[in-house]
Amino acid sequence: MKRHLNLTVNSEPRQILVEPYYSLLDMLRDELHLTGTKKGCDEGDCGACTVLLNGVPVTSCLVLAHSAHDAEVTTVEGLATREGLHPVQQAFAEYGGLQCGFCTPGLIMSAVGLLEKNFDPTEEEVRYAIGGNLCRCTGYTKVVQAIMAAAEQARP
Amino acid sequence: MTTEHNVLGRSLPRVDALDKVTGRATYAADVYLPDMLMCKVLTSPRSHARIVSMDTSKAEQVPGVRAVITGNDFPDRYFGSGAVRDRRIMARDEVFYIGEPVAAVAADDEVTAQEALELVEVEYEDLETIVDPLEAIREGSTLVHPDMPNFEGYGFAMGGNNCTLLDADRGDVDQAFRDANQVFEETYHSQAINQGFLEPMACAANVEANGRLTVWASTQGPYQVRAQLASVLDIPLSSIKVNAMELGGGFGAKLRLAFEAFPALLAMKTGRPVKLINTREEVFTLNGPRLATTIHLKTGVTSDGQITAREAHSVFDVGAYLGAGPNAGVGHALGAYDIPNFRLRSYGVYTNKIYVGSYRASGVADMHFAVESHMDSIAHQIGLDPLEFRLKNVVKEGDANVSGASVPANGLLETIEAVKEKMSLPRKSEEGRGIGISLGEWRSGSGPSTASISVNEDGTVSLLTGSVDISGSDTSLAQIAAETLGVELDQVIVAKRDTDMAPFTGPSGGSRIVYSQGKAVQMAAEDARDRLVGLAAERFGVPSEALSCEGGRVYVQDNPPQSLTLSQLAAASLTSRSGPIIGMAALSSMPYAPVFNTQAAEVIVDKATGQVRVTRFVQAQDVGVAINPMGVEGQLEGGAVQGIGRALSEEMQIDPETGRVRNPSLSTYLMPLAIDMPAIENILVGVPSADGPFGARAVAEPPGFGPPAAIANAIYDAVGIRIKELPLSADRVLAALQGQDGDEYHIDVEALKKAETG
Ligand code: FES
Ligand code: FES
Repeated sequence: MKRHLNLTVNSEPRQILVEPYYSLLDMLRDELHLTGTKKGCDEGDCGACTVLLNGVPVTSCLVLAHSAHDAEVTTVEGLATREGLHPVQQAFAEYGGLQCGFCTPGLIMSAVGLLEKNFDPTEEEVRYAIGGNLCRCTGYTKVVQAIMAAAEQARP
Repeated sequence: MTTEHNVLGRSLPRVDALDKVTGRATYAADVYLPDMLMCKVLTSPRSHARIVSMDTSKAEQVPGVRAVITGNDFPDRYFGSGAVRDRRIMARDEVFYIGEPVAAVAADDEVTAQEALELVEVEYEDLETIVDPLEAIREGSTLVHPDMPNFEGYGFAMGGNNCTLLDADRGDVDQAFRDANQVFEETYHSQAINQGFLEPMACAANVEANGRLTVWASTQGPYQVRAQLASVLDIPLSSIKVNAMELGGGFGAKLRLAFEAFPALLAMKTGRPVKLINTREEVFTLNGPRLATTIHLKTGVTSDGQITAREAHSVFDVGAYLGAGPNAGVGHALGAYDIPNFRLRSYGVYTNKIYVGSYRASGVADMHFAVESHMDSIAHQIGLDPLEFRLKNVVKEGDANVSGASVPANGLLETIEAVKEKMSLPRKSEEGRGIGISLGEWRSGSGPSTASISVNEDGTVSLLTGSVDISGSDTSLAQIAAETLGVELDQVIVAKRDTDMAPFTGPSGGSRIVYSQGKAVQMAAEDARDRLVGLAAERFGVPSEALSCEGGRVYVQDNPPQSLTLSQLAAASLTSRSGPIIGMAALSSMPYAPVFNTQAAEVIVDKATGQVRVTRFVQAQDVGVAINPMGVEGQLEGGAVQGIGRALSEEMQIDPETGRVRNPSLSTYLMPLAIDMPAIENILVGVPSADGPFGARAVAEPPGFGPPAAIANAIYDAVGIRIKELPLSADRVLAALQGQDGDEYHIDVEALKKAETG
């Protein structure tokens, strides 16, 4: 039986009817049609479904939708503003940090999560922050370069 | 080739970058249609069995279930992914592997569909099973498909379970072995691997009001899907439209019809749109991976290190069906070397396990591991530096390649030099730390290619091709068009394509898009340019030769201010004698253009655990001309990391009794993560190809095949052990360090030769 769920998604308060067994990922995709967040495994192994839950990167396939009650969720769709792309998005485009793009939303959210608490990460810290994000296309070299460049840009 | 280029050769962001960083790019699973049903597939739990009976009535009664189909709902026909028509889209009366589809359900949601599947009753009667290909190729072994000789498309092979046989011969090999100073024989084995694309297979289908079928597919080959779907549904090809959605990685796995037929038939039955999305487990168990290959090599060498003869026998596991072409690896058994005498054979063998699919440099990658490890091994045994031994034998311009074609000018030696310098080779090895190299050749992909280009009234250019973007190929194609027409990249619009709209094109695979499709785009752009110039010539009353097309305009060379912009010309063309500006081109094949590379790995081997860590990876590749250097580097880096995964950790563990995939998840099938990998170092060498667009060569395949050999050779350099089986996992390395003999695989070459001679 679907139950009501209140939460904020990309700064917008939402009230949604959701099945109790739905994951946050399925809720975002199937109910809100926010399909930028990807399902690569549904088992917590690939990171394609990464979103920010109260500012912290989580794999949304492992989070029950109802456990996000009253929480704040940010997905890849919520990053760009009227002024333009988020610096991490910009850097991924400029430095070639994406190919097929399926891992990209998840990688970007992991990177945004990292940069929100660490403005000046080392290359190793970047590699650890995206340690749960599989990418089969890029070999990570340009992904890491992009995140390092975004960090530099975002530094005050 | 350093002529002035404006757009070509620049590391511009991908044309689809914005869509992808904002999450707007639409993949097949992102298709939501009103009233859409979800499809789930029931698969066989048996390796080989007769289906005695099937009852779907209970499943049909589950509330929310709209239709259930079995093999009997499809027309009674076979289809083939490779050469042989050996397979039904859904099992009818017999199953040949664990995971073979036997029924499918369409329901209001996935949970209901899954629930219904569990109520489908199937009674099986087990039949004899054979899983090991080296056993299956033996005479008298259990047969997977006793009726193989009747399969349409079955050609020349030995029979039994051997369904394909490729061969290549030159010279008198036996005499050459007798004359050689030393002869070396080794057997190598590469494991079954999954392509690892991040986007699970997904598709949707809907029947339009006019009765035509629309399919949304995650595919590298929309026209292949259309043709195969028409065949299995027995409907006209023209009644199907395939939308090629954004592709979340394929690497060969998505070249052909996958599961589109299930939602298609269910949509036809229910009149509602139906979508299917594979789970990750299904990615491992339902869709053809690359299966294991065992290769026996024999090489004759003179006292000064010249190779005089090579024999190769390769046995590759096909699984239950030939889901990919026959193993092309045999054509690479000479490696990047000039060898006067050879006898090369590759045998495809049926077994009761998931059918084989394609994966980046299918077959070639396995052969490459064997050949480049073997080269290293011989060098050490005859006391030559591995690089020196290779240099003595490398192919040069004008040598005949394996099929007798003359090798054109190329950058092989430059790639060797570049890696040598970057890695400071030869370097004295330290205990536990080593460097290994490998050289490789790929042949730029060919095949039918088309393009059409129209110039819009605002001076922008619309590019239409039937090829699916993989690895940034759309961006390269757009750069080729922009360069040819003298406009900026942002003036080129790349149309999203479907099979109704775009002209026929071969699939995106085999590193053919930039080389072949790019050529078609260049020709189409030249055609459009000629028309623009012709129109301007008419207006100015000067000959076409007096004009140039550059910077968004056509101008008189001697008097540049006398010009018309593309926008003015396109607008004028609407009422001109020849009509709107449109350029077109089509071609069916491209000449032989080799791509050579050299790769080097530096590793640290932990002698206590057997753990191998790649600390540096350097590669140089002759790319001809880099259309987009950033894109090319991205290809090289991604390929190298896939290869490192294949070398060290990836393996589909297949149960030797039942053929079941034992590790169908990303936590048990270990692909490289960012924390495991070094930054990849690339060197782009540019010896232009004669025929590629602006001299470009293929890029994507070669970087993936060198790492296993380079790393195996580095392990030898570090600790003096030669491992001949992949992956080079910690337990295998440790066992070898402890002196255990790893020779687990054996091909009975004499029996194969005897079978051939009769
Ligand atoms: S889909 Fe959530 S981690 Fe893979
Ligand atoms: S870009 Fe394809 S998986 Fe990362």
